Amino acid sequence: MLSSFGQAFRTPDLRKKLLFTLGIIILFRMGSVIPTPGVSYAAVQACLAGAPEDANSFLGLANLFSGGALLQLSIFALGIMPYITASIIVQLLTVVIPRFETLKKEGQQGQTKLTQYTRYLTIGLAVLQASTLITFARNPENLFGPQCTNILYRDDVATIVIMVLTMTAGTGLVMWLGELITDKGVGNGMSLLIFTSIAATFPSSLWTIRQQQGWGTFAFVIAMGLVIIAIVVFVEQSQRRIPVQYAKRMVGRRMYGGTSTYIPLKVNMANVIPIIFASSLISLPMMASQFRRSPTGDNPSWVDWVDRYLVRGDHPVYMAIYVTLILFFTFFYVSITFEPDEVADNMKKYGGFIPGIRAGRPTAEYLRYVLNRITVVGAIYLALVSLIPLVALSLFGANQNFPFGGTSILIMVGVGLETVKQIESQLQQHKYEGFLR
Amino acid sequence: MTEVGASRRSQPGHRGEQKKGFFGGIWLFISQVIDEMRKVVTPTRSELLQYTVVVIVFVALIMAIVSALDFGFTKLVFWVFAG
Repeated sequence: MLSSFGQAFRTPDLRKKLLFTLGIIILFRMGSVIPTPGVSYAAVQACLAGAPEDANSFLGLANLFSGGALLQLSIFALGIMPYITASIIVQLLTVVIPRFETLKKEGQQGQTKLTQYTRYLTIGLAVLQASTLITFARNPENLFGPQCTNILYRDDVATIVIMVLTMTAGTGLVMWLGELITDKGVGNGMSLLIFTSIAATFPSSLWTIRQQQGWGTFAFVIAMGLVIIAIVVFVEQSQRRIPVQYAKRMVGRRMYGGTSTYIPLKVNMANVIPIIFASSLISLPMMASQFRRSPTGDNPSWVDWVDRYLVRGDHPVYMAIYVTLILFFTFFYVSITFEPDEVADNMKKYGGFIPGIRAGRPTAEYLRYVLNRITVVGAIYLALVSLIPLVALSLFGANQNFPFGGTSILIMVGVGLETVKQIESQLQQHKYEGFLR
Repeated sequence: MTEVGASRRSQPGHRGEQKKGFFGGIWLFISQVIDEMRKVVTPTRSELLQYTVVVIVFVALIMAIVSALDFGFTKLVFWVFAG
């Protein structure tokens, strides 16, 4: 079974795709360690090493999603986050703004237009986040703790502008890299880059647990990880199959159709996207509050509120908001990716029907009926799996060092499964055995 | 896999469409959810094991690659900018 990893490399065009993806990952990681011009690399490293344990956890999720690049102030410091935020906003807007809705219904061309808007918005957000991050870097005490006084060589206007420009350009480049993976590589670029970032910080945070909590907790965390992986795989592979019968028909002298197949409706159709959306959205106020924190301690009241409720993963308010966001985004994402009306229409066109249900509108209604009821379970599953580690880890008191355990495991397994299955299906096109048979 | 037959199908229009108040509606919805979940096809034990192992191997592989890359790049960047 595992030898088919090798087989994937022996298929010429699949090998090309895999190597291409790997090359982009290498570029992405390289950009994540190259410092932005004007930043003293030695000073940043000294500050990172001397930072107190809980200082990093404030920007925890943002830092995790950028693979540690954010705190290093590298050229890819913002990583793929602005792109994610932008695509959430654009997708939300398709429901609100009529013009976006018509664009979305236009098909290919409208989609291109929407992608274009997403890119513009990404650049806008990148400028915004880069300038806040740089403002922040001028007073690094907030970022790394009081021992850290200066990490910039100069802070005149020209240098600051160059730094903002560099980080914005870096974000643009990351966005392009992600789209290249989607186009010419394997897997979904956006999720694969997040996956890479998380994979970069995961081993070291695991090791921190081992050092601070001993082997017992370490083994427990590993075991829990394995169980979660199995659960995720189980649910991702569960599907409701709706039988479809195709009518026989003559076209010229040949007989077509007459076959019976099924439409697979996955229990969790949205995959990890709701988790990524929810956790990047919940980290936004955290980031904003971090930038508004004053060193003297008299913070605006909303900053204190965010500090109290939204920073610690084990606080009930945090959990409630997180769960609500996940539930919302699951339904939202399923509703924009699977269109029962379109599926029913297509089935009608090709002479297919669900036994016992009339073609056209009743079929669409039936599909919607099944989808809504299955997605309820899918959404609850996503919310629960992302909460289990939070609860379990806080029982063990390991929460501070491992703040987003559930989220990161879920994203890693989800993206891993998705990518492996895509490689697998491409292998099967070449009539090879594949990983899974 | 065998329970997917066309024999047991719930039809939205036919069953219990009349509202029995707020809680009745919720109860009806929950029973419909359970009904649909019964028809869900789950992976077999061996399928589950295979997928799990493959995913673990894949994730471990990427982690190893990325860790190696990071180690190398960090050394390189340190040598260029601070060494």
